[in-house]
Amino acid sequence: MAWDFQTIRNQAQKEADSICDNTSLESFRIKYLGKKGLIPQVYASLSTASKEDKPLLGKNANELKNFISGLIEEKKLSVKDTINQSSKSNIDVTLPGVANDLGHSHLLTQTMDEICGLFEKLGFIVQEGPEIETEFNNFDALNIPSNHPSRDGFDTFYVDQVDPGDKDKKLLLRSQTSPVQIRVMKANKPPLAVVVPGKVYRPDAVDASHSFMFHQIEGLLVDQDIKFSHLKGLLTTFCNRFFGDNIKMRFRPHFFPFTEPSAEIDISWEKGKKDWLEIMGCGMVHPQVFKAVGYPKGKYTGLAFGLGVERIAMLRYGIRDIRLFYENDKRFLEQF
Amino acid sequence: MKISLNWIKDYVEVKIPPGSLADKLTMAGLEVENVSLVRGDTIFEVEVTPNRPDCLNMIGIAREISAVLNKELALPRTGKLSKADAICDIKIEDKKGCLRYIGTVVENISIQQAPKELLKRINSLGLRAINNIVDITNFCLLETGQPLHAFDYDKLAGGRIIVRRAKDGEKIVTIDDIERALDPSILVIADAEKPVAIAGIMGGKETEVTASTRNILLESAYFDPIIVRKASRKLGLSSDSSYRFERGVDYPTVENCSNRALSLILKEAGGKIVKSSDIKVTGRNKAAKEIVIEKEKIDSFLGTDTSVTQCKNIFDKLGFDVKVDKQKVFTIVPPSFRGDIVQEVDIIEEVARIIGYDNLPLSMPSIKVSNISESKEIQLRKKIKQILMAQGCSETVTYTMISQKNLNDSKLSDIEKLNIVNPLSQDQEMMRPSLLPSMLSRVQFNLNRGQKDISLFEAGKIYTNKGEKETLAVIMTGVALRDWRKLKQNNVDFIDIKGIVGKVFSGTGIQDSAVSYKISELPFFAGENAQIFLRGKKIGAVGRICQEVLDAWDIKGASVVFAEVDLESFYSGSFSKKKYFPVIEYPIVTRDISLAIKKDILFDEIRNIVFNDNNDIMHNFNLIEEYLGENLPGKEYKGLVCSCKYQSKTGTLKEEEVTKVHERICQSLIDKIGAIRR
Repeated sequence: MAWDFQTIRNQAQKEADSICDNTSLESFRIKYLGKKGLIPQVYASLSTASKEDKPLLGKNANELKNFISGLIEEKKLSVKDTINQSSKSNIDVTLPGVANDLGHSHLLTQTMDEICGLFEKLGFIVQEGPEIETEFNNFDALNIPSNHPSRDGFDTFYVDQVDPGDKDKKLLLRSQTSPVQIRVMKANKPPLAVVVPGKVYRPDAVDASHSFMFHQIEGLLVDQDIKFSHLKGLLTTFCNRFFGDNIKMRFRPHFFPFTEPSAEIDISWEKGKKDWLEIMGCGMVHPQVFKAVGYPKGKYTGLAFGLGVERIAMLRYGIRDIRLFYENDKRFLEQF
Repeated sequence: MKISLNWIKDYVEVKIPPGSLADKLTMAGLEVENVSLVRGDTIFEVEVTPNRPDCLNMIGIAREISAVLNKELALPRTGKLSKADAICDIKIEDKKGCLRYIGTVVENISIQQAPKELLKRINSLGLRAINNIVDITNFCLLETGQPLHAFDYDKLAGGRIIVRRAKDGEKIVTIDDIERALDPSILVIADAEKPVAIAGIMGGKETEVTASTRNILLESAYFDPIIVRKASRKLGLSSDSSYRFERGVDYPTVENCSNRALSLILKEAGGKIVKSSDIKVTGRNKAAKEIVIEKEKIDSFLGTDTSVTQCKNIFDKLGFDVKVDKQKVFTIVPPSFRGDIVQEVDIIEEVARIIGYDNLPLSMPSIKVSNISESKEIQLRKKIKQILMAQGCSETVTYTMISQKNLNDSKLSDIEKLNIVNPLSQDQEMMRPSLLPSMLSRVQFNLNRGQKDISLFEAGKIYTNKGEKETLAVIMTGVALRDWRKLKQNNVDFIDIKGIVGKVFSGTGIQDSAVSYKISELPFFAGENAQIFLRGKKIGAVGRICQEVLDAWDIKGASVVFAEVDLESFYSGSFSKKKYFPVIEYPIVTRDISLAIKKDILFDEIRNIVFNDNNDIMHNFNLIEEYLGENLPGKEYKGLVCSCKYQSKTGTLKEEEVTKVHERICQSLIDKIGAIRR
């Protein structure tokens, strides 16, 4: 069979010129390159061609195939352009998108997660404990004397439930997260490195800076050779990571019954300014606390620290009223 | 507490500027909260921690300064007092309330103005002049920390002093002219007839020293800190005296201060000591214990390299009795006024404090891997929060204390609850036994502030007398997803909140088949509500809040849906470990099925029939549309369009295979629940 390659080319070119969409491009492809299309037919005819005609026919067939393929590729691009052009004119891309609103994590949760996260990176493990506690865990074991004013109803909430371990006493709402230290130490041997976030309660009348319910984070590191210098090193690292490298900070001696020596940490943001802001308490675990949890005398030393989450968040985000945290105004929640 | 720098300078040399001294005191543990200049004097406002009652006076502060600045401390000298000829008629009846009572009668004093120097001192700390006797007692209180009281001796009935508990019904008019009712919890000083002072807190009007007083009885005593504190709280009355007795005064100072005051009285008011008694309750004043500590121990604890001289000097300046041997071991007896020093760490703290924490080295601890691990609860809770936030719900943190009214308003009056013994107010009389009141109050709060679309959740605790339980609550009102392309925005309903709760289960790896819903009868819900079961165990509830509850909470014109899930049961539910199933590449064949069924047939019944058909190609079954209205066989019918997706694990499905199964399922639906194909 003899093929008029030039005519085929002309015809194909003409057909290709009129292609304007994917459908006509596809039928063009099938007509020439499809299983039963023209090109396969041309190649099929090679088998019946004479020995002399074969090389030329083969060459022409290849050239035709390349030509057709080229047309198809060319057309593919132009068809795409047309589609793009037409979509451009159809939509106002500045219209608002539609999606589910994202919910917001409460700022207190975010702050606790961030602080705990920093300590977790240093090797601490997050632990939690109950809010309803015994007087033993909240006071006795923490070396707070039995006549200490903080045990009064003025400073601690008691609930109407008898302590199963001491029938003369009522259970209380923990006034600090420290009782979790006691629980963790009673259940585990050192080395220990834990951070404890949670709610605590004190009967303070509510105003812009007081709340009867608030949140604390407590940390505890116990091992055989924990030093006061470690307390300084660890908490300096924390403060720099959380508040930034350019803060000034100081460890100021203070008193807590459950640590000795004890300190409060003050930081100052603004250069040259001497406005110290108290941000956390800390100290070396008091030997009486180790005694209360049954650790052998003199075997371990440890450091502990605690901070008020609301206070830290208020300082960091410029929140002036603690009540905003519990009001849960949507317009507050959605800022964070 | 206020301190006067000029006064301090009577006992210790201070050459640095007041600001620097304030910094040094702060960094030694006596936080200076304010510094002000008053008439040529510098007044510091110092916060004294409760372990340091010895610093509640000028000498105590001066002692600290002498240690911090490394200067000598010069104590005031008390001249020799002549001995009294007679004893004072004093009886301590309450041996728990009073450990020591020194009473001294001075006769023929002349009441006049106190000397200027003395007045200047007490004025600088905010005390006004009264008369020389009272001013001297105040001066000595501020100087030594020992409260004193002077009675008009002639007005003490029988010339007697009895330290006893008040009797029920007894009353006293205190020097502030207020009549106060007393009871046996309160310790008083009485004469032969009646109370003449509230021990350690305030004296009585009737026996106070006035211009006409000629003879006085000076009291210097040790009263029990707890008894004084309790009485002070009970009476709502505190004073410079009670402040110090509550924190504990120094036993030897009871005598020293008495002598100091007497010598000043004799000098400024004349008179003669005629009677004196020092009554001690024996066996209650323990001698300070010796503390032995190696220098090495101090250094290893602090990470320092101190010298023996440096440490010894600190101990000396603080008034410790210290010996040191060649092995650098200190043997220390703390002074009586330092009841806070009982063991090694207390000594270490003193060294750290006086050197200054800022001058101590810092290093990083090597934190070892412990065998404690984070609980499954914490991880699951985080996951649940993420799921809910992705569904558009924001997290709340609400007060955990509520009122009985909150419960009543939420139709939860009969629920078991845990009351607070000493609530701040009735609004917070109990720990919440349910999250519903907290969530309703937050919806109401936001609606009142013009927020219409509200989706909130809280993973918080509920409390009963069985303990506390972590619970999840979700509450929604308004429109969950606003889409400007739709004309009508749908308000959230039961199906929306059920969908969100379902995501909590599916998102934490609980299979749909493990969760079931049954209609419930919880009082706070309207008709559309269900209890949620996880593997047959009741775990929560979901539904629309009834109108009565909304009215009680003053929530107007909004439909509110709520869900509560017990997270403890949820956490303890078994979570199947995740496992890989090969993705099947064979095509899925979809067949829709349109049915009319009676309205009382549950969707679950249809599902069960579909999945109970014995075949291995049913891949998925979904509800596409529910239809109510025209073109149904009757009013008791509803129309459902569902899609069945078929897929084989072993090859491409043939039309005939799918048709066979699909038709059989349809036939089952017709046979078992009377479905009609449409």
